[in-house]
Amino acid sequence: MRGRTALLVLPGLAVLLVGFLIPSVAMLFAPPGVSPVEVFERLGQMLTDPYDQAIVMRTLGLGLIVTVICIGLGYPIAYLLSRSTSRWAGVLLALAIFPLLLSSVVRTFGWLVVLGSQGAIPQLLLRLGLVDTAPQLLYTPLAIVLGLTQIFLPLAVVASYSALAQVDAGLDEAARGLGANRIRTFWSVVVPLSGPGVVVAATLVFAGAVTAYTTPYLLGGSRQRMLSTQLYTYSSTTIDWAAASATALIMTVLVFAVSGLSSLAARRGATS
Amino acid sequence: MRTRHPIAASLAVLGYIVMLVPILFVVVTAFTAGSTLRFPPEGFSLQWFEAALTYTPFTSSLVSSLILAVISAALALALGVPVALAIHRGKLPGKALVEGLFLSPLIVPELVVGLALYQQLMVGFGLDNFQTLLFGHTVLMFPYAVRVTGASLALIDPAVEDAARGLGASAGRTFFSITLPLLRPGLFSAALLSFITSFNNVPLSLLLQSRDFRTLPVVMLDYVQQNYDPIVAAISVLILAATVLVAVIAERTVGFAKVFGGINR
Repeated sequence: MRGRTALLVLPGLAVLLVGFLIPSVAMLFAPPGVSPVEVFERLGQMLTDPYDQAIVMRTLGLGLIVTVICIGLGYPIAYLLSRSTSRWAGVLLALAIFPLLLSSVVRTFGWLVVLGSQGAIPQLLLRLGLVDTAPQLLYTPLAIVLGLTQIFLPLAVVASYSALAQVDAGLDEAARGLGANRIRTFWSVVVPLSGPGVVVAATLVFAGAVTAYTTPYLLGGSRQRMLSTQLYTYSSTTIDWAAASATALIMTVLVFAVSGLSSLAARRGATS
Repeated sequence: MRTRHPIAASLAVLGYIVMLVPILFVVVTAFTAGSTLRFPPEGFSLQWFEAALTYTPFTSSLVSSLILAVISAALALALGVPVALAIHRGKLPGKALVEGLFLSPLIVPELVVGLALYQQLMVGFGLDNFQTLLFGHTVLMFPYAVRVTGASLALIDPAVEDAARGLGASAGRTFFSITLPLLRPGLFSAALLSFITSFNNVPLSLLLQSRDFRTLPVVMLDYVQQNYDPIVAAISVLILAATVLVAVIAERTVGFAKVFGGINR
């Protein structure tokens, strides 16, 4: 029986090895024609070069800001939806999930219409007489933050919602029955119990935001480089594979570190 | 819901604006009679829809995207469902490790996977870009195939299968006439999630494109970078309409939230 079970797993495992595990490891440590030493030398240069440092810091900083905003907006949405008895709650939940089904290109394209110099916001400011010339909003950190927030907010809502739905609404009522007011109930009952789920949500958003490509490419352009757009430039324009691998290594380590930290935090939250 | 949580409600409204308003702007722009991404749009016209549907790079990459998504979703299910079976029904040592391995493509940044496959399979092994894309997209869908079908497998009472086997059905017969029919909603969800993941993918497909085989999102991305006209808004609206249709079908068959809320990402 054990032999037969192995037969079920082997074909998939073979594809996983060839199509993911082996290439990923091989690329990070030895791209074709480049020695691992070169990759690590380039990595060392990057971590000391001010231009590359700025890219890493921008990626981390924007990722952090987007994560805070996504949780700050997504958690209230999830909270209200999970506690609502209105029949509209289902529709609103569907509206929050629906953007996940659309390509990031389709979603990000809207910001070009909103933020572009001929777009809605600059034209509105002009017509209101608040500015004399259309302000440059595209290719700024603000544009990237808005775009990434739009992309990852649905994820924050869905993940927070599944955490909040597991917190029995009866506990809210019990706390209130025992004399806690609405705000106290929220902070001492709902928030601690849904905490681990929110950590998961934040991790998903952060990992997604620091590795996303489409949005920084369209809304940040070459003026606001991030690790992902830089990785693409190294591997397809300048064809500097040592640099591409080093960038990929930074991104991968970043994502693994954050996932590791968050699973530690979630475990501690669950046991305390 | 209305006034009991004023702060939470205002934040929620702001959240919905950020999520949905840019999409509305895409829709409005697609119907403009003008030739640039100007807002407010100049007049009403369907010219950009006609332009999108007759622009060959869009139509041919749409066909490519559909072919790739269908084949790789089928492969991911064909390879992933047995894995889910082994994890939930078989006597497998290290089940958690096996499941972790098949979920791991969710953790590594997609652009990194794209670069890895480009370097190692296309440049290193000389696979063509379609074969490499097929590997990449299939692996990317494993988490859905294994996790979503696994979750619905966990809901099926093994006693039903034991009963079939006790009545003399072979393992194969039990699977095809008992387990598989019960598993259908899970399979449907996994297939749909896989298909959509592949169809929308940019980071993994980006470095693996060639002149012969490019996917639609990658072509759209290139187009937006070089041109500033509403044709992309029109193709976006067509995709949007198709996606709404898919969501409605999913709602009617399995339940929208079940399909798309089933796996966090």
